[in-house]
Amino acid sequence: MPLRAPKPLWRGRRTLAGVLGWSGAVLAFVLVAFPLLDILYLITRRAFSAFSLTLFTQVTNGISGGLLNAITGTAVLVAGSLIIAAPVGILTGVYLAEFGHGRFGSTVRFCSDVLTGVPSIVLGYFSYVTLVIGLGWQFSVMAGAITLAIMIVPYLARLTELALQRVPNGLREAGYALGMREATVIARVVVPAALPGVLTAVLLSTAISVGETAPLIYTAGWSNYLWNGRFTHEPIGYLTYVIWSFINQPFASAHALAFAAAFLVIAAVLVLNIGVHLLLRRKVPAH
Amino acid sequence: MAGPVSEDEMNNRSYYRLLLIGITALIPLSLFAVFVFLGTYSWPAIRFNGLHFLIGKTWSLGNLYANPITLHGAVVPRGARYGVLVFVAGTVLSSLIALAIAVPVSLGVAVFLSEGAPPRLRPALSFIVELLAGVPSVVYGLWGFAVLIPFVAATLGPGLKHLFGWIPFFRGPVGGGYGLLSASLVLALMVVPIIAATVRDALSKVPLEIKEAAYGLGASRFEVVSRVMLPMARASVIGASILGLGRALGETMAVLMVSGGALNYLPGNIYGPVSTMASFIASQLDSALQDPTGMAVRSLAEIALLLFGITVLVNILARLLIGRKGATARA
Amino acid sequence: MRRMFFVTKKIAPWAVAALSLMPFSVPPAVATQRVTLLETGSTLLYPLFNLWVPGYTRAHPGVRITTQGTGSGTGIAQAISGVAQIGASDAYMSNLQIKQNPSIANIPLAISAQTVNYNVPGLNRVHLKFSGPVLAGIYDGRIRYWNDRAIQSLNPGVRLPRKVIVPIHRTDGSGDTFIFSQYLSFSTPQWDQNVGYGTTISWPALPGSIGAVGNPGMVQAAQQNRYSIAYIGVSFSREVAKAGLGTAFLKNRAGRFLLPTPVTIGAAANQLVAKTPKDERLSLVFAPGVNSYPIINYEYAIVNKHQPNRAVGDAVRNFLRWAVDPRGGNSMRYLSQVHFMPLPGRISQLSKVQINEIK
Repeated sequence: MPLRAPKPLWRGRRTLAGVLGWSGAVLAFVLVAFPLLDILYLITRRAFSAFSLTLFTQVTNGISGGLLNAITGTAVLVAGSLIIAAPVGILTGVYLAEFGHGRFGSTVRFCSDVLTGVPSIVLGYFSYVTLVIGLGWQFSVMAGAITLAIMIVPYLARLTELALQRVPNGLREAGYALGMREATVIARVVVPAALPGVLTAVLLSTAISVGETAPLIYTAGWSNYLWNGRFTHEPIGYLTYVIWSFINQPFASAHALAFAAAFLVIAAVLVLNIGVHLLLRRKVPAH
Repeated sequence: MAGPVSEDEMNNRSYYRLLLIGITALIPLSLFAVFVFLGTYSWPAIRFNGLHFLIGKTWSLGNLYANPITLHGAVVPRGARYGVLVFVAGTVLSSLIALAIAVPVSLGVAVFLSEGAPPRLRPALSFIVELLAGVPSVVYGLWGFAVLIPFVAATLGPGLKHLFGWIPFFRGPVGGGYGLLSASLVLALMVVPIIAATVRDALSKVPLEIKEAAYGLGASRFEVVSRVMLPMARASVIGASILGLGRALGETMAVLMVSGGALNYLPGNIYGPVSTMASFIASQLDSALQDPTGMAVRSLAEIALLLFGITVLVNILARLLIGRKGATARA
Repeated sequence: MRRMFFVTKKIAPWAVAALSLMPFSVPPAVATQRVTLLETGSTLLYPLFNLWVPGYTRAHPGVRITTQGTGSGTGIAQAISGVAQIGASDAYMSNLQIKQNPSIANIPLAISAQTVNYNVPGLNRVHLKFSGPVLAGIYDGRIRYWNDRAIQSLNPGVRLPRKVIVPIHRTDGSGDTFIFSQYLSFSTPQWDQNVGYGTTISWPALPGSIGAVGNPGMVQAAQQNRYSIAYIGVSFSREVAKAGLGTAFLKNRAGRFLLPTPVTIGAAANQLVAKTPKDERLSLVFAPGVNSYPIINYEYAIVNKHQPNRAVGDAVRNFLRWAVDPRGGNSMRYLSQVHFMPLPGRISQLSKVQINEIK
């Protein structure tokens, strides 16, 4: 097709469309970036008055005191959910990547995608009916951690699968050429090669667990005290509860704690996301 | 499944493969378990409520202090009626409005991130959007409560009414900021990162040759994006939008804190209070527990089951669309 | 599920070890004889429990009490199921609930009140007068404007604006809704028939009315909506004042218009002291007597008289005994911070009798 110079008027209109289009794109970005910055600003500003050493050294005393119980509680719940979900999710991801070409694999893939779309409150209600009431565990670490685990397993599985798929087949073949068994190839060659991707999956699941609220209200309950090591029949505190519940109190100290908890949650999510980026950057050199 | 193997090795394999299959089966099993348990638990409510559940506008626990009565073979509080039309409408309306806002914004964001922004800044700017996806729901609620609600009540609501008052849905009292508009805005903010990330990835997969060919034909940079790249990413856009819809339908805490929690009536305009199914479950379990006959809690489980069904269907639709895109890409 | 459970159990000690290595963690309390109680329920009582628990546990280090604001319904349900040892509730249990669970006691701990507040520019410094039937009319849509004749006739000489009233109600299950709707039900037969009372009621469909979550949501919604009206727990009177809302005189059964003060709340409580039955399930709303403020209630601890073991039973009993004691939890040192009133002497005695039955 021969190049032809367009007519000036036509070009003017095209330039205008371009200018409008690009401004629209910039505006869209600003519309999205501004609320995020505002959220960060609001929470940092309001959390400031609650920040002191006692925040990290004391448990919630009524509606004042610190957040130690909530911080450790969130850590326990997240650790618990990962201990349950990581083996299941990662092994599922291994299965999907290495053997999941058949009907069973695609069914699992499909189910796990659907499971990520199930609202967390529905899972919370399910756990409330089955674990808290049905099995009589009451509000507990176990009920909370299992609920979170059900939420994050599909993420872990799919992200692990993705990471394993990126491992070049040559590596696998090299393993077999050395006489390794299938299991050894997977455990010693494929998974280590995909480790940054798997770690990414774990970090992202951690971020999801840290920020979850609705399903925990009816599974983990809340406690003013440090976890005493019991898995059932003992409620546990967590940061998102403080945000949701303490903002509803008539005391300024409670509001400050709510914002401090929000700050810690956001900070954790931020750090985890930065971790993901560093991992991914190490994997793929900057381009 | 991979190639012929000796019987010896087959035996060796079977142990850990069975283990893997067993673990892998947990995902479909838990999905199945959620369905079965919610279904079983809510079965008495399903039988009692019948079709009224879907078409009734009134949710009333009845008189919990009077002695319960027997109705249609079930023991329920006097005057109890469980209709969820208002919550279904609130859920669908808020999600659709959120999507109507989020899709164009996401396209803009995706285009900006993949083509518009200076290449050096792109990773940092993308990170901002990714972070938005990581902000927990309850923090959005906190922000909505402290910042968005006053803004909608004092500025955005009156402004929209002034500009679009000629459209019936934008007319009428602006109210206090708690309502459909605020819920939709928060939901939009929450689904933009999902859609934008998917579309950005799809845009980045457009082959360089095609872009170069378009430039060769004299297309401007914006025309390459709008006439060539976006159309190629259409399937992704649709799939991602439906995924976003799925997320919006089930969102709980943030909506609970800004939606105004309407009971028994449909919103008269875009500023009016609404309730969504998810936020209603979260806020009403407490009251339902006061019903000694247990029918209220089972009816809430029926809402959870309905929400489960809707989100599963929406996700299946999204996956089918994205799957089809995948198929064409491979072809 | 089984499998997951199995996996965790196996790895659990490892997790405990890992956690104790974390810099901010304190070694888990090992081998203590301490008893941990869970209090859950009413969001109205939650602030008071949050003041009580630090005060009590400082003097009684052997007991730990966790407090949760989950709502009265949850408080009752979990006291029945045993998840919580103390359920907090603004509402007493129904006859059927008592019949199903005869071992559950309803124990008043303190007396709370509720205010009706409004945001009418220019009139927030004036205490407007309202009656039950007028409030019922506002909430069911028969009275739409501030200058309606029904409101005007209660407030002669006040220049009321011709503006649409914006009624605000709670959407979460709430004891505030329970006592407010009781006031409307007890004073207005029409409301009683059509709507009734409860912690969540089927509010008449009224376009423009607003639902809010929690008392802070009520205060904020009232502040942001001019010409609105709301009912708010008395614990939040400081927030109400800060928001610049007006507080209403309410018409009591004897026909007088009163504000909630220690005198009028105490007068209403005293009227019903003699009528309070042994199981103490009684509404204090719309009490007789010329000086009785009409919307007050007992705040209840819902407790199973048969606790799982003796240590827990002792701990519950001792704490509750302290809570109803005028030198302990019922002193104004605690109550005045949330604007509650102490139990009258006879009620305190009745509560103690019930508390002593906890084993």
